[in-house]
Parts: sequence; structure tokens; C-alpha cells
Amino acid sequence: MDDSDSSHTQRPHGAGPTTGRSARRLFLRVAMAGGLVAGYGTLGVMAGRFLYSNGQPSRRWQFVTTIDALAVGDAILYEAPNGAKLIIARQKEGETDDCFAALSSICPHLGCLVHWEPQNERFFCPCHNGIFDKGGKAISGPPAAAGQQLTRFPVKVDRGRLFVLAPVESLLELNVACRSHTTCRLAGHFRARAGEPRRAEV
Amino acid sequence: MAASRTGWKNRLAAWWAERVPVSGVQLRELTNEPVPNHLKKWWFALGGTPAYLFLIQVFTGILLAFYYQPSPLTAYESVAYITRHAEYGWYFRSLHKWGATFMIAAVILHQMRVYFTGAYRRPRELNWVIGMCLLLCTLLLGFTGYSLVYEQLSYWGAQVAANLSEAVPLAGSVLKHLLLGGPEYNERTLARFYVIHAAVLPVTLILLLAIHIAFVRLHGVTELRFEDEEQTEPRYYNFFPDHLYTELCIGLVLMILLSALATIFPAVMGPKANPLETPEVIKPEWFFYVVFRWLKLFSLTTAIVSAGFIVAAMFLWPWIDALLIRLTGNREISTYIGVVATILLTGMTIYEALVEH
Repeated sequence: MDDSDSSHTQRPHGAGPTTGRSARRLFLRVAMAGGLVAGYGTLGVMAGRFLYSNGQPSRRWQFVTTIDALAVGDAILYEAPNGAKLIIARQKEGETDDCFAALSSICPHLGCLVHWEPQNERFFCPCHNGIFDKGGKAISGPPAAAGQQLTRFPVKVDRGRLFVLAPVESLLELNVACRSHTTCRLAGHFRARAGEPRRAEV
Repeated sequence: MAASRTGWKNRLAAWWAERVPVSGVQLRELTNEPVPNHLKKWWFALGGTPAYLFLIQVFTGILLAFYYQPSPLTAYESVAYITRHAEYGWYFRSLHKWGATFMIAAVILHQMRVYFTGAYRRPRELNWVIGMCLLLCTLLLGFTGYSLVYEQLSYWGAQVAANLSEAVPLAGSVLKHLLLGGPEYNERTLARFYVIHAAVLPVTLILLLAIHIAFVRLHGVTELRFEDEEQTEPRYYNFFPDHLYTELCIGLVLMILLSALATIFPAVMGPKANPLETPEVIKPEWFFYVVFRWLKLFSLTTAIVSAGFIVAAMFLWPWIDALLIRLTGNREISTYIGVVATILLTGMTIYEALVEH
């Protein structure tokens, strides 16, 4: 900032009008600089959030299996379109959504694959003996010590068929027939109803 | 304690001065320039406005480029993702869109100011030519940017433009092939538009802008004095910090305006491009309304050749003007021509905006 305004500096210091004017100038400078920092700072924060927000992969409802193909206590390994491995288990008798659970098979400890032990009603990670209950919560081993749990994916039952909201491969998948999230869901649904081969493997 | 702090500061200053041997005084002399008083009126400071808007375009453009995917399979969806899902994506896209509109408007207003004040006359003819190149760059940026969205209108706009370039005598087919990356609009075309929009044109614009500003510095800003101005007033003021503050204020006002427009009228998604169906009503962006209307008035070749002549005349205007002054002896002749041209251009733009076809 340049303070060399000769008309002001030539006046004696402490004189009333000069003090008032200097205070006003100082106030305006601080207000201007503060406004600039606040305005452009906000823009910077928004830009940061814009860049950071692309974390979650897009998900779509995917057909898994018919519910009568999955007995109580059984689990199947399901490969989502993006290659993620999911464990889908029927945990109790019934045909409602809460009778089924879809959990990521990747152990949150160091990324090994867990498997379902029906006799013990638990998931077991062979790498470091991590144990998870049927809801995916770690109950023993290093994951329990860290308070971790298996990532859970939403499931739904629709007319005897089981669907999971699974991560999809890429935007290319979305381009098949989808313009919005709703149509994407419908497209997935109709493809499933048309008897498209399922990608699950028991 | 205080002495050691001073010593530490001195050592740091010495370290810096040794590595960057430019003093503050030299730097101030280098960046400073006497600015004629009339630039205190903001409409004479319109040259800085497109430059500031260009900075906004670069900033928002870089942000958008993080998500945009230039392929017919993904372009529309990636723009839709920016608009609907990415946090503040709608804001940055709208800012980019409104920034483009403002930038083109500001460049046109700046050019009009230069024209009507005769600031292009000897010895500043070459800077007028550079300015014309900057105008074309800005218009091309607008066109290629609009095409990237891959909506129905932007797709068909690009088609029309490509076929237009084909009608250019002699070089037409080569131009079209270069623009589309093949004889027709194909899966590589968007990538081509993207590189032109995000790399070729901005770099060209920056280089031209550097020359433009260098010319302004070399010749100085054209001096104008007004009747209501007191003759005792100083004729110049400092670029730094006085004029910089003016530009800063203009920048803030622009940012507020752009943010308001982006919020009230955000950029939306039209229907996705369908190469098998031309929409019933097809329009380019507002800054091409004149060209669009011109094309409807004449046969294709006549329209292209005449438009070419008009653009060439605009490029050569400083010399045409000098010739006209010599022939007629009237220095105001360019003003009359300018008024007629402005009325025609504005009239055709408004007419095209009002009618459907």
C-alpha cells in the first residue's frame, strides 16, 4: 500500500481532520482487503470441495439371484460390475430386505478376502484372524481392535428376486440407456427382469 | 533480541537480492506506467475487463477439466455429473458459461470504445490487428466451448459450423477435415474441440494478449481530454496502485454479477446430442446470431465470401479509415460508418433472437 499522498502527509500529526481521515482510510483498507480475502477465499474453498467430491463410485441396483436359490445361513460371492467382491448372505428366514446382507468381502484391516462360516455365523479373515459378526461388525482380531467393520451395501427384495446397490464399472456403463439416476435404476431393473445372465458365483 | 531479528531479516534480504537481482524501485518502474486521467471513467478501462474475465475462465475451466471427458460416449454424462452431482459443480459451470458471455460482450465493448475514439489510428494500427485476432480467438473459444457440452443444440451448431467452413473457397474441405478430424463428425471430433478450446486457443490468446499489452506500453494509452475537465488537473495518475485498485473494484463487481447470474440463471442440461434428429428450432449462442441471420439472407457462398470481406475490412480498418479521410477530408467518417454498422449488427442480433426461424 502506498502512503505517499502528499496532501495528507504534509499536515501536522494529531490534527483532528487528519486523524479522522487516516482512521477512515485504515478502516476502508482493512474492509477492502478483508472483503477480498473473504470473497476469493470462499471461492478457493468451493473449488477445493468441487475437486475433492469425486470420491464415491456410482452405484446401481444389480440383480443377484432369486431368493429361493439362497438358503438361510448360506452366502454367495458376488462380483459387482466394477469388479468389487461382495458377500451376500441370507441371515434369517423370511423374504424381507432385512433377511439379507450384502457386505464387502474386503477385510478393512489389510485388504484380504473374508469368507462366511455358516456353522459359526461369522465372517473370517484368514490373513490375521479377523472375525466379523453376521452384520459385518468386527468382533475379534486387529479389525476389532481398530473398531472396523465390513462395508455394507443396501439390498432389496422385489417379487422373489434379490438386488444389491452395487458399484458400477464406469461412465460407459451409464451410457447404455441412462440419463438420470432414476432411469439408471430402472434400466438395471429391466435388464435383470429380461433374464440377463447374473454375475454371481456361488 | 531485536538486533538478532534485524540481522536475520537483513541476511534473508541479502540472500533474496543476490538470487533475484531486481530492486523494489526497479520493479515498480517496470510495472508502473502513467495512466491518462480518462481511464478513471470505467468504460475507458474496459480493456482490463476481458483480461480479468479470461482469468476467471482459466480458473473455472481448469476446475471443469478435472471432470470433463471429451468423447461422445461420456461428454454429456460428465457435464451432467458436474452440474448435478459434483459439489458446487453447477456453480463453476454456470460461472464459466456466464463468464464467456461477459468476456465476449466486454471484448466487443472494448473494441467499440477503441473504434469510436479513433484509438486505432497511426501509430497504433498493428495493435488494432492484434485486437481483431483476440476477438476472433474469443469467439472461437465461445464456439468450441459450447460444442463440448454435446447437447442437441451444441452438436448441431458444430455440424453447421463445420459445413460452413467447407463452403470457404479453395481451403474449405481441408478446413472442415481439420476441424472435425475426418470428413464427418466422428468419435474423435470432441477431443479435437477440447484441445482447441482448452489448449490451443488459450495459449494463442495469452501470447496475443502479451503483444497487445506490450504495444499499449510502448505507445502509451491514447490520451483523451473532456470538455468538463479542468485544465489544471494532472493529466496522468499511477498505474500502481491507483489503476490497479480500479481494476480490482471492477473485478469484484464482475464477480458479484457473475455469481448472482450463475445462481439465478444457472447453466442447465438440454437434451443429449442425437445425430439422427435435428431439433425443430436451432440457434447458436447469441454472439453468432448475426452470422446465423446473415446465412439466411444470402446463398451459402455469397454469405461466406461477403462475411470474409467484412472481417478482412475490419482487420484492415485503420488503413481503410486513413484512405477514407484522405479522400473525403472528413475525420468523422469512421464514426458514421461505425454507427450504421452497430445499428445493423444489433438489429440483426435482436431480430434473430426474436424469431423462431
